[in-house]
Amino acid sequence: MDQLLDQARSIWEGEVDFEGQRLADLLTYALLSLSGAIAFLVGFSTQDIYQTLYIGLGGTALTFLAVVPPWPFYNQHPLPWLQARETGRVALGTLGLEGISVEVDGQRVS
Amino acid sequence: MHNNLTRIQNVFGFFTSVAFAVAAVIAVSVVLSAQSPSASLQLRNVQVVKGRPHYYSTKREEYAHVKFDLDADLSTLFNWNTKQIFAYITASYPSSDPSTIPRSEAIIWDAVIPATNAPAHPNTYIHPSLSQSNARPKTKADRLAAQKPYPPGKEPGILKLASQKPKYQINDVSGRIAERANATLTLHWNVQPWVGALVWDSRGTLGRWQGLRGEMAGFDFPALKGTEVKKEELRTETGGERNRGSPA
Repeated sequence: MDQLLDQARSIWEGEVDFEGQRLADLLTYALLSLSGAIAFLVGFSTQDIYQTLYIGLGGTALTFLAVVPPWPFYNQHPLPWLQARETGRVALGTLGLEGISVEVDGQRVS
Repeated sequence: MHNNLTRIQNVFGFFTSVAFAVAAVIAVSVVLSAQSPSASLQLRNVQVVKGRPHYYSTKREEYAHVKFDLDADLSTLFNWNTKQIFAYITASYPSSDPSTIPRSEAIIWDAVIPATNAPAHPNTYIHPSLSQSNARPKTKADRLAAQKPYPPGKEPGILKLASQKPKYQINDVSGRIAERANATLTLHWNVQPWVGALVWDSRGTLGRWQGLRGEMAGFDFPALKGTEVKKEELRTETGGERNRGSPA
């Protein structure tokens, strides 16, 4: 049941990794600006304002489709989590994790 | 941009910015399309009679009934951002004291002339047929052409009206309009765009926009006529609007 809820939450949230966020941001501005420019130029050259309206709305729909769903290409650079600490500081040595240092506000806590 | 909701918000937010920017560019782009309206407006007949403002009124006022000929070409006002043109004719006459009181203007006729791609609306003006034939349309193409608000084979904005009855009889606030001199008939219009600013008519040239060319009619209001004027002669005409006789 918990697994099912986790899956549902993941679909609802649709989270992507940091590189994916950068890419989604870029795509938003590029696609919308481009469709706005094309919409105006086509409408002006054909002297038909309906072309501008429909190309602009179509480009916006395309941008929504390209940016909003968490497509696989937004999750190409997942950041690995630290391994879970099992039983405090003593366990670190036994797990071979001495090299890992966790800092909070400049102070080393482990 | 980390989850669906923020991505939707960001895309929609930037979409509104792009839409506003494109609309602004469209609104400015109309200065590039040259326009050269021309019109010749002639007075055909003017009569002044006594009448009542409404049926139960005991007030008797003077009403002027102005017939005119109009030959206008406003087709260059239709650029890609023009939705419709509101054309109207005013009769203007000087006040009793021109140094302090400005001239009075009263609209005697008007028309809403839509662009070809404007959606149909019952208030749009339908130009009377030039051929004067009232033959019923035979083919489907004829029927479609007959529904167009301008003559077949023409573009919108061309007006050829002969001995046109006014839409509105006019009177003065004083109740007297007979025997006033130095009156003029003038054609005016508003260009209503899809996006952007409403543009009034102008007489001067502004960049690629030429002012109205052609002469307007000057006249004097005649003396009051008695009962010898036939009622039919003083009828007004709503034009060719589809909802003739019923208000919008």
